[in-house]
Amino acid sequence: MAGPEFTVEQYRRRQRLWDVLESRYVVHLVLFLAVFFIVSPLIWQLLTSFKTSQAVLDLTYLPVDPTLAAYERALIDRGFWRAVVNSVLIASASTVIVMILGTPAGYVFSRFRFPFDNAVFVFVLFTRLFPPIGLVTPYYRIVTTFGLLNTKTGIVIANVYLWLPLVIYIMRNFFITIPQALDEAARVDGCTKVQAFRYVVFPVVLPGFAAGTILTFLYSWREFLFAFTVSTDLNSMTIPVATFLFVGDAGIDWAAMAAAAIVAVIPSALVVIFFQRYIVVGLTGGLKG
Amino acid sequence: MAAEEVGQAPHGEGVVGQLSDWVNDHIRTVLLGPSLVALFVVFIYPATMLLWLSLQNTRGIGETFEPAYNYGRIFSDPTFWNAVEKTLIYSTGSLVLSVGAGLAIALALNKVLDSRVRNTYSTLILISWAVPLSIVGVTWRWMFNGQLGVVNKLLIDLGILQSSYSWLGNSLSAMVVVILADSWSRIPFAAVVLLAGLQSIPQEMYDAAKMDGATTLQTFRHVTLPYLRPSFFVAGLITWMFAFRAFAIPFSTTGGGPGGATETLAVYIHRFGIQLLDYGFASAVSVFLVGVTLIVATGYVYFVLEQIEEIEV
Repeated sequence: MAGPEFTVEQYRRRQRLWDVLESRYVVHLVLFLAVFFIVSPLIWQLLTSFKTSQAVLDLTYLPVDPTLAAYERALIDRGFWRAVVNSVLIASASTVIVMILGTPAGYVFSRFRFPFDNAVFVFVLFTRLFPPIGLVTPYYRIVTTFGLLNTKTGIVIANVYLWLPLVIYIMRNFFITIPQALDEAARVDGCTKVQAFRYVVFPVVLPGFAAGTILTFLYSWREFLFAFTVSTDLNSMTIPVATFLFVGDAGIDWAAMAAAAIVAVIPSALVVIFFQRYIVVGLTGGLKG
Repeated sequence: MAAEEVGQAPHGEGVVGQLSDWVNDHIRTVLLGPSLVALFVVFIYPATMLLWLSLQNTRGIGETFEPAYNYGRIFSDPTFWNAVEKTLIYSTGSLVLSVGAGLAIALALNKVLDSRVRNTYSTLILISWAVPLSIVGVTWRWMFNGQLGVVNKLLIDLGILQSSYSWLGNSLSAMVVVILADSWSRIPFAAVVLLAGLQSIPQEMYDAAKMDGATTLQTFRHVTLPYLRPSFFVAGLITWMFAFRAFAIPFSTTGGGPGGATETLAVYIHRFGIQLLDYGFASAVSVFLVGVTLIVATGYVYFVLEQIEEIEV
């Protein structure tokens, strides 16, 4: 064969370069740099949040006289603790509604044929891929018309639009991995179709259900566009929106903004730390057919 | 499908029994109906209104029906084309950085054999994905602040910069910062998807390549890349599509500034629709954005449907 003319020496030299690139040191160096890039902005926020206003102006790296005063200014003086409560309520309610609606729907798409089933499924996919910014303008008008401006309900409804199609899709993918023989066995044993779903198939899909739940909670927690459009008042705004509001101040209180940011990040970080595996399953489960 | 034909559930008695029978006979409606009704209300209704609004002249007081008005304005308005240009730069920059860094991370993670170490790395890398989007923005805004930002401080202390640089006050550097912020938030997703792709490559393929005396580069080109192509496609498409519509990150990092230098289409739509209350024009721009997305999304849907065929075979 007239392949590339390699001498053994050339081959070894090339391979040696790759052996270096593949060595443990390079692998860990790459990962270390990645972790540094990912984590350092958050560390910087954390350091800033413990600083006095003077330390912020003095541009010190570490907080001199570390203090929790910035947290007090953000959470108590500005009352943003209420935004934290709103965020928890909104993300939880959105997650519950989306999972209750989306799980059975995903099951139907994984099991049953019905008229226009593929068209309906493509419609669900399309709603997921539709850019949310496109709905913001009409949604703002609808919310205003129905008196839902500055309400938690208005934000929850937006979250249902945003995450329900995703959950239907993810749950369908999880259900597909479960053999239909399981449903059939349950039916032969005298289960109704609902019982077969509830008592036989659902327990098997539980890890996938957990992944969907965690993903929906995180997505609702980090959402900004609709939360910001619907509400900027303390009765209903979320903590990511509250943190952003510092930007509008004449002289930004950077330490207090960092404190609010840290408060908004802590739940995200905790969920990632405890449920990393489920998140990976959820993120990749939302992609495969 | 088969599940419907097998077995006969016992027929219930009384109202509860009849209800249970009805549910059993209409299982698809009962399980799927609520979701479809919900999607109809929260999606079809506003989406229809979007089309309707895009045909209205809302510039002055009240609304008048002028179908061509807003679409005409789009094409003659240079600020619209500026937003299109910025959006393309922004989304392409984020795509290259996110998928490039994601690939490097995935390849490295795939080499880590100890699963505890690998999970620790993945956890740390996933964190930026879970950070609320406006927090991503304000964090980068803070780091790159002209007077008090840590980036200037570091660069001056290291002797790289003589004096503070206004990162967010300069068109080019502001764009670089928003792209970095966007990638920061998107890299974990690309890494996770590509790692899943890498892990699906059967070990035998590598063993066979090794037996044949392939170099690492050859193995990468002829084994890894072909297997990775679907994951690459999905990671790239999703990253690009979602960066193309990005709102929260550019909006909270720079607000679209300086002078529209980082104003993506989404920020542009928000400015007209919500801040200036020119619903009609914002809706027309939205329709444009939806159209572009639709074209890209069709590619994705085809990909998914192809996979469905594979499953049903």
